[in-house]
Amino acid sequence: MFYLQLRNELWKLFGKKRTYIGFFMFLFAQNVIALVFRFTQASRPMERMLEMSGHLAEPFISVLTIATIMLVPAAAFLLPLYVALVGGDLVAKEAEDGTLRMILSRPVSRFRLLVVKWVAGCIFSLLLVLALGVFGLAFSRLYFPWGGMFVWLPENGIFGVFEAQTGLVRYVAGHLMLVTEAASIMCLALLFSCFNVKPAAATILALSLIFVSFIMEHIPYFKDYQNWFFTYHLHLWQFMFADRIPWWRIGQSLSLLIGFNATFLAIGMASFHMRDIKS
Amino acid sequence: MKVTGPSELSFAEGASSRSNRLIELRGVTKRFRGRLAVDDLTLEVPAGEIYGLLGHNGAGKSTAIGMMLGQVWPTRGEVRVCGHDVMLRRTLALRQVGAIFESPAFYDYLSGWRNLEILSHYTAPTSRQRLQEVIDWVGLTGRERSAVRTYSHGMRARLALAQALLPEPTLLILDEPGDGLDPEGIHEMRETILRLHRELGLTILLSSHLLNEVEQLCTQIGVIRKGRKVFEGPTAHALQSRNWLRITVPDFAAADRFLRQEGLIDESRDGRCVAMSEGISSEAIIRRLVEGGFRVSEVARDEQTLEDFYLSVMRQ
Repeated sequence: MFYLQLRNELWKLFGKKRTYIGFFMFLFAQNVIALVFRFTQASRPMERMLEMSGHLAEPFISVLTIATIMLVPAAAFLLPLYVALVGGDLVAKEAEDGTLRMILSRPVSRFRLLVVKWVAGCIFSLLLVLALGVFGLAFSRLYFPWGGMFVWLPENGIFGVFEAQTGLVRYVAGHLMLVTEAASIMCLALLFSCFNVKPAAATILALSLIFVSFIMEHIPYFKDYQNWFFTYHLHLWQFMFADRIPWWRIGQSLSLLIGFNATFLAIGMASFHMRDIKS
Repeated sequence: MKVTGPSELSFAEGASSRSNRLIELRGVTKRFRGRLAVDDLTLEVPAGEIYGLLGHNGAGKSTAIGMMLGQVWPTRGEVRVCGHDVMLRRTLALRQVGAIFESPAFYDYLSGWRNLEILSHYTAPTSRQRLQEVIDWVGLTGRERSAVRTYSHGMRARLALAQALLPEPTLLILDEPGDGLDPEGIHEMRETILRLHRELGLTILLSSHLLNEVEQLCTQIGVIRKGRKVFEGPTAHALQSRNWLRITVPDFAAADRFLRQEGLIDESRDGRCVAMSEGISSEAIIRRLVEGGFRVSEVARDEQTLEDFYLSVMRQ
């Protein structure tokens, strides 16, 4: 039964055109970024940085390096937008369209319904991150050769130079961790979607909270309190590109994200359970 | 008004199964942010009946139905469906319940077949054979693979019926199912409800504004006003609750006063009808009118329609 209900939820989700906006935008954005890198001098500062650190630049101006550069802004700005859009729709859109009332005339518990929707949202998040990773590699490969990986993420003090093989492993691991960011933002939007609000309001509320957390995290005077900010823990995927992976930091953020997600789901569940569903 | 054949049949059947009530509301109250929507409502739908739930817009009918389906939480009181408390055992209570709402909503971008699969799987796994059976029964064969956005209003109504029938229900809850249908659609809906009752033996709760339909279909009615029940009983009883007599005399107002003074009538309406007091025959009224010097040119029994009854209950 759970499998059938999950399958139904995925049919509903992937039957809608708006679900694919994220996939198309990644396709577009990554293609454009790769083109700009290929046909401009945009990679020159990177080459200088590599040479100053004693590396030959050419082997590192590669598929993996360009794909990782493209990943950073996409993960910071585009990914939260698309997962929040889908998470905000999951309950609120059904309530708005009236289909939620049709579902809840059936002997299915609200708890079960929400769990099914959450799992479907997580699957979407996984697929979107997968698309981000695959498109990144595919479009970079069109214009750049295979080779080593160079990553510079100054905010977290990450300066990584890897062989192609190790770089690919780090790239895959980074995306696996990025799924936690996508799923957490989706879960936050799902929480707001459980309230009696329009789908757009749920999405905007979730994104607003993300932005507020991001702003607070970046106020220099709040540096001592960074651990309290949701977005601080969302960046854990970046540590997969560190020379030495700080597993303690990843473990800490992962456990906190699990806590955040459980809290979002519990509040959403309580709100959804108490709500009167009317036409 | 004449109760149609199937209704008479089911009324007789209903009388023998009173102990088996599929819907029971006991002292149910619902407040929305302080506004009273349903007030101490007690209501019973016996098995085998077609029960009409009547009331103005905002009277509390849809809220009552929402509480029966576990979509709206009562502030106070108990709601039982198929013998189970809806608040405590919702999944058990709704296992054999189908529901149709006014303007039924579907996933318009998916096919009718896919919509039925999605909705039925919230009850139990449903075989393709069962899906096809129900599609054939409601007359959607050949269009089940088309996207719902291409369906006409009538086809959507049929799809709504199909989704309600998929869990093989014993109880069907219809909330304003005729809303937006043209006369042909309303006729089809009426025939379908009678067919469901006759062929599948379903108990049906019908909330509707179409009093003529309710009069033709329902064996029991309940009338709600401002969240409170103001009448509940057999439709036939509602229609015979007053013995109305249409009399034609030159001065109806004088005749009305005279008959009231004589204690023969309780009330009058429309400037031509009088309600005979209990135990008073039409012969007695004619005799007294003639003895009183009134020139009576016509006397006929005025059969009350459900609309008359409904309006009289609402005016009380």
